[in-house]
Amino acid sequence: MSKHDITLNVNGKKYELTVNSNELLLNVLRDKLFLTGSKYGCGIAECGACTILKDDESYFACMVPAVAADGWNITTVEGLADGDKLNPVQQAFIDNSAIQCGFCVPGMVVTSTALLRENPDPDEDFVKDYLRGNFCRCTGYVAMVKSVLDAASKMKEAK
Amino acid sequence: MSVIGKNTPRIDGPAKVSGKQQYASDIIIPGMMYAVTLRSPYPHAEILSIDTSEAEAMGAVCLTYEDIIPVIYNERSVSVPAATYRDRTVLPKKARHIGEPIAAVAADTEELAYKAMQALKVEYKVLDAVYEPEEAMKDGAPQLYDKIYFGDEEVIVKNNIGVVRNIDEGDSVGGFARADRIFEEDFELPRIYHCQLETKGCVAAPDTEGGITVWATAQSIHGNRQLLAQTLGLPLSKVNVKKITLGGGFGSSIQVNTVTPICAALAMKARRPVKLLSAREEDFYSHHKYPSKFHVRIGVTNDGVITAAHVKALIDFGAHQIQPMSFMGCVAGWFASLYKYEGNIKFDGVAVYTNKTPCCAMQGYGNPQINFAIESMVDIICNEMGFDPIQFRLKNYRGTGEEFWGQGPTIRSIIKSCGVEESLVEGSKLMEEWATRGKPEDKHGDILTGVGLARGFHCSGTAGPKEGEVIDYSSALVKVNEDGSIDCVTPVMDHGGGTWDALAKILTEVFKVPLNMVGLSPADTKNTGYDVCTHATRGVYCGGAAVYNAAVKCRDKLLEFAGRVMDEHPCHLEIVENEELGQGFIQVKGFPQKGRTIGEVAKIAQINSWGTAMYAESFRQKNCPPCFTTHFVKVAVNTRTGEITIPKVVIYGDCGVAMNPDLLYGQLIGSFNRGLGYVLYENLPHDERTGKLKNNGLLVDYKMPTAVEMPKAENVIVRHAHTYEPTGPFGAKGIGEAALASVQAAIANAIYNATGIRFTKLPITPEIMLKALQEKGLAHK
Ligand code: FES
Ligand code: FES
Repeated sequence: MSKHDITLNVNGKKYELTVNSNELLLNVLRDKLFLTGSKYGCGIAECGACTILKDDESYFACMVPAVAADGWNITTVEGLADGDKLNPVQQAFIDNSAIQCGFCVPGMVVTSTALLRENPDPDEDFVKDYLRGNFCRCTGYVAMVKSVLDAASKMKEAK
Repeated sequence: MSVIGKNTPRIDGPAKVSGKQQYASDIIIPGMMYAVTLRSPYPHAEILSIDTSEAEAMGAVCLTYEDIIPVIYNERSVSVPAATYRDRTVLPKKARHIGEPIAAVAADTEELAYKAMQALKVEYKVLDAVYEPEEAMKDGAPQLYDKIYFGDEEVIVKNNIGVVRNIDEGDSVGGFARADRIFEEDFELPRIYHCQLETKGCVAAPDTEGGITVWATAQSIHGNRQLLAQTLGLPLSKVNVKKITLGGGFGSSIQVNTVTPICAALAMKARRPVKLLSAREEDFYSHHKYPSKFHVRIGVTNDGVITAAHVKALIDFGAHQIQPMSFMGCVAGWFASLYKYEGNIKFDGVAVYTNKTPCCAMQGYGNPQINFAIESMVDIICNEMGFDPIQFRLKNYRGTGEEFWGQGPTIRSIIKSCGVEESLVEGSKLMEEWATRGKPEDKHGDILTGVGLARGFHCSGTAGPKEGEVIDYSSALVKVNEDGSIDCVTPVMDHGGGTWDALAKILTEVFKVPLNMVGLSPADTKNTGYDVCTHATRGVYCGGAAVYNAAVKCRDKLLEFAGRVMDEHPCHLEIVENEELGQGFIQVKGFPQKGRTIGEVAKIAQINSWGTAMYAESFRQKNCPPCFTTHFVKVAVNTRTGEITIPKVVIYGDCGVAMNPDLLYGQLIGSFNRGLGYVLYENLPHDERTGKLKNNGLLVDYKMPTAVEMPKAENVIVRHAHTYEPTGPFGAKGIGEAALASVQAAIANAIYNATGIRFTKLPITPEIMLKALQEKGLAHK
């Protein structure tokens, strides 16, 4: 097993780490940086619970070897809010009662944040399709889709 | 302003959207080891020996059958011991299904643990396996067990039959004789998987006093504590299970999850904290919904009165009993309570061991299964005899004043609130297409549409006026702080439905304080009285009632103090709301001129050494009121592809007073989504040669509905009936499991209305739909 020195920029903080070549980014985030907001749900890119951002793009952290993330600029769910001020998507999830057990919610709000950066003015079908990679067993998605649309319109108003 | 019945943002919302909410799998303790289980590759095999030496040489701590206390238990402890079968140990001497944990190892890293697990050498004697209950009951079939226990009695297992349950009430022979027509049909529902997003897991940390602290995926912290004390041979006072948020349960953590006692035993052996999480593939082999086969007979008169019904049930519950006994009692109860049948019902149930994953409760405990059968039958009857489906239901349903079986035959109560009529009548107006749905033979084109109706219910808790075979009570401690804020400690769990918000609202209403003045304290099994479990849709109705009763007694104590402060008899005092002061205000009834805030009174009581206004209570409800649901579903069947889509649904829920309507609607919509999966996609077939799941435990090969399969948001119409449950906290009863009960039949009935094809077996996948369309000459090329 070879060891590698890597640098990760996570939520605006720089971490220098030594990792094994078979270590996954999700495990490094959770077990080494104690950022347990990103969840394990399947480990095979099927549920989206582990979703993080690399710059503005979403990735499944369970599929990324930590060595491959060397030098990445990462935002996890813990980094979405500005202090106690939630980002518009997070706030919309609360306002639209889109949360139940909450285990999928970190991945959902991260994916939805990426969605709105990619398309600030989505329609319902676009949102549904975009969220297809994020699994939620509790809510039936309707309130989540509404939340994303709500966040989009609030962000437009704020401009 | 009272917040009961109002939408308020979830208290745990900010923690959940920011990734700060902790789940059992998030617990990290310094010096913690990681554990992995070795799972049986065979569906049926004796374990002759396990050689751990190589793994131990790698620095791992190993746990095998040799290390455990051989207590034989049933991990689901909500039924009384005398009504519980016991057949398993923490680790087995004989593997009875693929994926059953047979040994475990813990090491400093997950990677090392995994390597050590691979270094275990197991000698198996592979045995023949059996997968179908019909085969398992045959003479000469492979036997999973020789003997098991029922309560304290030893039971010899014959032909793999685990439980037989027969119930006979009224005079079904006479009832059928009076019927003008008798309808008879077979129904079959598949084995499916909970797929709660958090896989089962546990973190266990031994302490220096010989005890242990545990964080586990759990719907009942006390249920976990009791089993762990037994299997570790510790006094209860040495086992502390912490209340922690659960990432979805749907019934799969009513029982103590298999990995929990293994993790605890490993930690005790290693004398270090241990974390054991299930991989998704392992979780897939750990708990399923009961697959069910029913034969249903119903007698009806020409004027539309059901005179008798008989259900025969065959249940395949897999390799261990997680209480198929109470499951069958409940199936009988759901069936018996749906309609009146002039009191003439018969139920004959058999539940059978097979070499498959053990089955357990999954939202409804048999209710979605039997509801599919009965509500499909009602549709058949109405179609064949020309009855109006709403009028027929109204004529025959059990409503206010009628008896309801809350949890099998031993737990019954009288219905005191009922929104069935409102739901059926108003629901049919909201689904405008209902009136114009027409008959299957009138429909043409390559997309056929239809509308279906079904109604259902579930109990709210399992507490009848008389105690039965299920334990039901909860505990709470409530205290008023010296600034008027309120603390509450209770073991009642919330799986995401919003139980904790409801408990907080109950407190605000008793003390007339705003929501932000109420806090639910961290709780564990040491600092709380017993709570049976959040199951059976009992969280708000039973757990909430315990909180309510503790709060009222705490308030009485506070008013006693206030009487001393204000020179009044406490019986003349009341707490009213005072928005300006931001907390409850105690005054002489009707006289606001002079008074004190609850905080002032608590503070004066403290300064004068009178004590703290607090009260701890364990409380049992004495009813199990039904919460009702009604579904009107519109379907569109593509006759070229067999694909079924849902353009619109109307959902009516009756939960008494809705503590938080948005959270209620969330549960109703979420359940509709899961029901959609149950009817249209989900199934877990086994490979008969290997005993493996055909999807190999991979999520990628288990289709469930996503956001895309749901109707447009504006076409998901959800309402709640205007009822008040007199026995519930502020008029509330439950909703959770009722929300799923009637989804299945409503969709299947809609498919019949669209195509004239009656499906009595689920799921109805596009392939199955297409084949049926082809057979009927309805498929388009
Ligand atoms: S855990 Fe990464 S997609 Fe499921
Ligand atoms: S809220 Fe539970 S999985 Fe989405």
